Amino acid sequence: MALRASVQRVSRTLPRLMAQAGAARGMATEKQIFNQIQSTKNIKKITSSMKMVSAAKLKGDETRLELAKPFNEWTNALCGKPVHLDDLENITYEELPQKTLIVPITSDKGLCGGVNSFISRSVRDAIGKINAQGKECDVVIIGDKGRSQMSRSFPEKILRTATDIQAPGNFNLAAALSAELTAAGAMNYDAVMIVYNSYVNAAVYHQYYKVIKPMAVEGEGESMVEYEFEPDVKSEIMGDLYEYMLTSQIYYCFMDGAAAEQSSRMTAMENASKNAGEMIDTLTLQYNRARQARITTELIEIISGASALEG
Amino acid sequence: MSTPTTFWRLAGMSYTQYVTRAATALRNGLKEPAKTQAMRNEALSYNSATWAGGKAGSKKPVQVLSEAGL
Repeated sequence: MALRASVQRVSRTLPRLMAQAGAARGMATEKQIFNQIQSTKNIKKITSSMKMVSAAKLKGDETRLELAKPFNEWTNALCGKPVHLDDLENITYEELPQKTLIVPITSDKGLCGGVNSFISRSVRDAIGKINAQGKECDVVIIGDKGRSQMSRSFPEKILRTATDIQAPGNFNLAAALSAELTAAGAMNYDAVMIVYNSYVNAAVYHQYYKVIKPMAVEGEGESMVEYEFEPDVKSEIMGDLYEYMLTSQIYYCFMDGAAAEQSSRMTAMENASKNAGEMIDTLTLQYNRARQARITTELIEIISGASALEG
Repeated sequence: MSTPTTFWRLAGMSYTQYVTRAATALRNGLKEPAKTQAMRNEALSYNSATWAGGKAGSKKPVQVLSEAGL
């Protein structure tokens, strides 16, 4: 009789003790899993709304990029085409002159996938290779995310930064940025190299770099020899043309970078929503298991209590 | 540096400043409501910071083209 009573007592308290031991061991209780599910659902709502906002902004950025394309085509004839940074190991930067000013174009806001880390990696690689060839280079950074990443790797090379740029950009902004470059001494460098992301479509973007050199006014590499200049101040006109070319190229690269950033953010937020959905499914299964375990515990208690009364 | 011959250089402007000022003059010639819409294309705003010896200087806000590059 005493043995039976003590067995019944143990069988009543054992499930509750086991549940308490489980919580002490670090297994999530039902309440904790429920809270986790709720917060993951909220995150999923936020990321999917961010994705829709990015999709809407991408449309505007694509239109602006189309309008900016003519600002880029003519510079290809004078300075050469942009170089695709597809495999960093094969890029040598041998065509760069002695002093180069590197201008990476990055974003100000985060949660945009890998756009900024690709640019930072490319610039770091470029600086290493340029210095190894005995040449000099300095950096003027556009965008807050690029500043925070690159200031850790090579702070001594940074001359200026332009951050918190109000979107969308326009030609006035490009003019202001080229004024910043001039103030940083761009006219004393042999070339300006702009590193930027290029928008291909909503799922794909590539990294490019474009080298802009001031055109030689006399000597072997004299450019535009077929043209006669009126009045006969070719050096002045070429100086103005170089300024305009720099502004024009910054305008195009900025538009391209903005469209690439939006497409990358769209993809990143879509992946985040998908992952959040999968997490919710896994957590819901766990929650149901925990709930069923609790119900089983309560049933055992009730039944052992009832059988104790009978006995 | 020889004396400049172009009128904008003589006035102390760079070519880009001259071109953007000409664009502003063109936008001012528009009638409403096209004018306000075009003026929106002019707005710019960012923060510029000069770095020296690996350290950032203070951030300066830039709202108009004349403030840039100072």
